[in-house]
Amino acid sequence: MSTKRFAVLSIFLALGCKSPSATEQMDSVISWIGTAGLTGEAWLRHTTPDKYTRQTLELTNKSLIDISSGLFKSLPAGIDSASLDSALTRSNEHVGLMAKLVEQKNSPDFRTLLDSLYADEKLVKQFADSVEAKDKQ
Amino acid sequence: MKKIFQLALGIITSVGGFLEIGSVTTSVQAGAQFGYKLLWPIFFGTICLVFLIEMSGRLAAVSKHTIVDALRERFGFPFFFIVLVGIAIVAFLVLVAELGGIGFALQILTGIGFPWWALPVSVVVWLLMWKGTFSLIENGASFLGLITISFVVAAIKLHPDWSGVASGLLPRMPHTDKARYGFLTVSILGATISPYLMYFYSSGAIEEEWDRSYIVMNRIIAGFGMFFGGFLAMAVLIAAALVFQPKGIQVDTFPQAALLMTTALPKWGFYLFALSMLFACFGAALEFSLAIAYFFSQGFGWNWSENLEPSKDSRFAFVYTLIILLAAIPLMLGVDPVKVTMISMALTSATLPLAIVPFLFLMNDPIYLGKYRNGWINNSIVSIVIVMSFVLALISIPLELIGG
Repeated sequence: MSTKRFAVLSIFLALGCKSPSATEQMDSVISWIGTAGLTGEAWLRHTTPDKYTRQTLELTNKSLIDISSGLFKSLPAGIDSASLDSALTRSNEHVGLMAKLVEQKNSPDFRTLLDSLYADEKLVKQFADSVEAKDKQ
Repeated sequence: MKKIFQLALGIITSVGGFLEIGSVTTSVQAGAQFGYKLLWPIFFGTICLVFLIEMSGRLAAVSKHTIVDALRERFGFPFFFIVLVGIAIVAFLVLVAELGGIGFALQILTGIGFPWWALPVSVVVWLLMWKGTFSLIENGASFLGLITISFVVAAIKLHPDWSGVASGLLPRMPHTDKARYGFLTVSILGATISPYLMYFYSSGAIEEEWDRSYIVMNRIIAGFGMFFGGFLAMAVLIAAALVFQPKGIQVDTFPQAALLMTTALPKWGFYLFALSMLFACFGAALEFSLAIAYFFSQGFGWNWSENLEPSKDSRFAFVYTLIILLAAIPLMLGVDPVKVTMISMALTSATLPLAIVPFLFLMNDPIYLGKYRNGWINNSIVSIVIVMSFVLALISIPLELIGG
């Protein structure tokens, strides 16, 4: 393989294997919290089966843990990572508890947790905006 | 009367069989991330498909050749073999994705993980291929696929901004995520302009013994059937734009996509989505298995017909048996069908030149088509598709790496 071909291939591979930016990871966090919200609302309206709801919330829980572990390594300077960490940990705990409440068919407590999740979602969105602004600088 | 019945049936089967995991996944992801901005590749791809399907049917009706027959005869076996390798690899990946789509639909309905469904689903698909006839596979699966019309109902019930929808029919570059936008454009075009549909359609025309008297009917079926089918894919994108985009949900997994209709159709939306995916992917898995078997059998000159007993076209039956069995293996190992879908749709775009360039030569060959060969409108459309498919082939793989 010529040096030129090797260089082109390396660039493609490097681009392909690049780890996601902090902005992209924050977008994923918002996406999964939104998924938990939509799943929760659908369950409260009795439009989705319990098993599906529980499994989707568990998947959300797992995805949030996975993203969070990588996110703090790539956060730009100037972001209050302790506050973000606590908001993410709280959201994650809420999602995990919601999955358990589905099993118990406990709608009132589920509603309360869902409302708390929405409050945390607003906070996470504010962080996401700050991260995006810092990433662009 | 018989022709009118065939015409209605042809349109219904084209509509019912249009959606499959590729078109649903790409439309949902596009709507969730870019709103209505990616309606144009569905619209443009559908127009191209209408012309390509009409040509495929015309070639079969006039020349009594399938595309593959004519391809091998006109260009020789070595060239055909290159096309075969390219198309077969991508078609196999799409079959994996379709079987995975069935498994996922069953997973969200039952809670049992999709890898467990891979083998039973493959056995059912194979059994239907083994025992069924062409019309059972084409019409039966497509009639069940009509449930996908529920996507249109959901999109209308969500009250889209129609001026926004109309503006989405014109290409516009977004300010951010350009690589992702490009990748999704390529994937949507790959999902819409599927060369397997052309091979399947021309083989079906031979199975149903079309002759020149079917030329007008072919034109109407291709026009109406594919166009209405394209509307279904647009409806999926519109619904995703209204349900997922405001919440910032990027649909990376199938369980997320299952929430698509729960807002618009609260009572039945979830089940309608699951059943739509089940039937659409089931029909597509049958069609892809058949298309691959047709491709090999016609290319190697073996006996082929879904209407024959497997003992009378054993090599044809062997190909679909082997291919279905092989497609089940990655799914049993837990390979994510959504990822396979996105890769296979981009690769479909990359292999489009292989399928379309020789097709243009065939459609202008007086030996095959006589006075029915392409006019300037058809040639212009195919030329546009060829230029576009070359560009797509060049950019789809890098975009896969950067934006996929």
